[in-house]
Amino acid sequence: MERIAEHPILGAKEKGREVEFTFDGQRLKGFEDEPIAIALKANGVMIHRYTKKEHKPRGIFCAIGRCTDCVMVVDGKPNVRTCVTPLKEGMDIRTQDGVEAAEMKEGEGA
Amino acid sequence: MKRYEVIIVGAGPSGLSAAIEAAKKGLKVVVFDENEKPGGQLFKQIHKFFGSKEHHAKIRGFKIGEELLQEADALGVEVILNATVVGLYSDKEVNVKIGDQIHHYKGDTVIIATGASENMVTFPGWTLPGVIGAGAAQTMMNLHGIQPGKKILMLGSGNVGLVVSFQLLQAGCEVVAIVDALPRVGGYGVHASKVARCGVPFYLSHTIKAVEGKDKVTGVVIHQIDERFMPIAGTEKHFDVDTVCMAVGLSPMSQLLKMAGCEMEDNPKRGGQVPIVNEYGETSVSGIYAAGDVSGIEEASSAMIEGKMAGVCVAEYLGYIEKEERDAELKIFEKDLDSLRQGMFAPKNRGKKIEKTDEGIDISTNLLEKGYVADDEIERFPGVTHKAGVHPVIECTQNIPCNPCQDACPKKCISTGDNITYLPFVKEDAECINCGMCVASCSGQAIFLVDEDCGDGTATVTLPYEFLPLPQEGDKGYGLSRKGEKVCEATVVSVKSVKAFDHTNLLTMRVPKEYAMKARFFKKAEV
Ligand SMILES: Cc1cc2nc3c(=O)[nH]c(=O)nc-3n(C[C@H](O)[C@H](O)[C@H](O)COP(=O)(O)OP(=O)(O)OC[C@H]3O[C@@H](n4cnc5c(N)ncnc54)[C@H](O)[C@@H]3O)c2cc1C
Ligand code: SF4
Ligand code: SF4
Ligand code: FES
Repeated sequence: MERIAEHPILGAKEKGREVEFTFDGQRLKGFEDEPIAIALKANGVMIHRYTKKEHKPRGIFCAIGRCTDCVMVVDGKPNVRTCVTPLKEGMDIRTQDGVEAAEMKEGEGA
Repeated sequence: MKRYEVIIVGAGPSGLSAAIEAAKKGLKVVVFDENEKPGGQLFKQIHKFFGSKEHHAKIRGFKIGEELLQEADALGVEVILNATVVGLYSDKEVNVKIGDQIHHYKGDTVIIATGASENMVTFPGWTLPGVIGAGAAQTMMNLHGIQPGKKILMLGSGNVGLVVSFQLLQAGCEVVAIVDALPRVGGYGVHASKVARCGVPFYLSHTIKAVEGKDKVTGVVIHQIDERFMPIAGTEKHFDVDTVCMAVGLSPMSQLLKMAGCEMEDNPKRGGQVPIVNEYGETSVSGIYAAGDVSGIEEASSAMIEGKMAGVCVAEYLGYIEKEERDAELKIFEKDLDSLRQGMFAPKNRGKKIEKTDEGIDISTNLLEKGYVADDEIERFPGVTHKAGVHPVIECTQNIPCNPCQDACPKKCISTGDNITYLPFVKEDAECINCGMCVASCSGQAIFLVDEDCGDGTATVTLPYEFLPLPQEGDKGYGLSRKGEKVCEATVVSVKSVKAFDHTNLLTMRVPKEYAMKARFFKKAEV
């Protein structure tokens, strides 16, 4: 989804430093300290996890840390609420499958 | 265990106002809020607020939050952020989660100002990525600068649904429809009208049949429902969208009060489970108060007054002021609060079908059913008058607690009468100098400056414009009707943006004279 370059009321948004991170092994860019979920959204990532029982996709729903739909595996730690966790340089972010991160598909990766 | 005279939970308008009032009286105050930023709902709101000057009206929500915070800071209030209160006990012990740790505090008094949480409804596909809450949409676009989606359907026509729809348009998104199961628009008519004139259609008595998509939202189907909310076959309508946004009401977040043993009640007029409180917000547990949306869903303006009341009460409770002083102050606040709680959207009128304004004028049915006042209805309202030369046309047709228009005019052309909820009207002896302050100050973007006959077969219409890219002088395009349909050709005469207008640009367009009372928005021709 597109970042808003200039807003009629808020003007241009001040952003942090541009940083690189990986999403399921794929190198992506975002801005330091913005929520991980926002960086992913800017890169078109919609699915954050699959539910354990029925393997249904979930993405951002509340964006304020309440619903847990957006949890992912971040630097090996599962169940991280990406909508309220700041992005850092080099973070390893993975789609969460049930409680485990989804296996990396072949051919992907840096 | 750290001790405070007052512990306040929630740094929204009610919590901060309570803190300011208590600190003014000399109490030692701490405020906890779970967010990274203080301000509660306010810091996501970028529109100019309703209310009166005393309630920070016509100031944009996030600015009100900043002002309150500065005031609290200056008074030495301690505001602790990223701190979630997870426990409250009747002896006023408060458990706060900061990071991974639980901290214990003890208050001599406690004010709960936790606000409200968003309701949800379910329909096939509601868990798909791309179905989001209205609050989430605001968080994404207004705090983090990203579009929630490209094409969006809004479910819910209350003030939240309407305000967020407008904000989505400001963020450059397309809103394909506003859908509501109820037969009437739930929010203020002025909020609905400013979205409708941009061309967003309203579907009342409609609901979502299903959201489509395998891994994420790719479309949505709505259908009409009858009086018993049963779907009517054959009324399905499909929209290609990537996002469905839900704004289906708020519920008080009153769990902490329940936990502390406060008596509760289920009160639909207040929005759900609320504590039973006296008129100043004291709960059944001595020394525990509730203020703001947590004790009944209302507005920031009323939340601020309730917060002040609680602040004054705890000061008296702890002996910082005398009973007489408290009662004198409470009396003023009470009067304020009462003046806000009038009009067709007042809590006491919730769910009632109001057919006439306080002035005895028939409410626009088109506004309630389609989101805009019809051409043949607009003339009956007191703000709509005719005169030679440039004059204000005030299309504010419902009794809402709002009056910045009256304060804005340097020539005192506009009045809302004795009551803040009365309809604004143009005074007969008004001498408008075309300064534009009323247009820019109107929270509902309901005021236009019209010169109905420029003498050459044309008329000019000045309207508030808060979108990018900003049209330029000489741009050619179309005048849009209140419904958002192209009705005539239009040329931009001027675009004024001055600091006093606070980001509301005043666009003046020239239209054929027959459209002076019909064209209410400008759309640039595509080249
Ligand atoms: C889209 C939209 C538009 C609006 N427009 C207007 C308008 O034009 N005019 C107007 O007057 N009003 C408007 N309102 C309403 C207004 O914003 C609210 O009525 C007002 O913010 C309520 O204030 P509050 O202090 O009670 O709660 P909130 O502003 O919700 O603040 C409560 C705070 O408490 C925090 N909190 C909750 N639980 C905990 C906990 N356990 N621990 C720590 N912190 C906690 C919350 O995170 C939040 O920050 C609008 C609301 C919305 C959603
Ligand atoms: S344009 Fe200026 S003078 Fe005219 S009604 Fe509005 S505020 Fe008053
Ligand atoms: S016309 Fe006046 S009362 Fe109506 S919305 Fe505008 S500022 Fe408020
Ligand atoms: S989207 Fe709800 S917790 Fe992140």
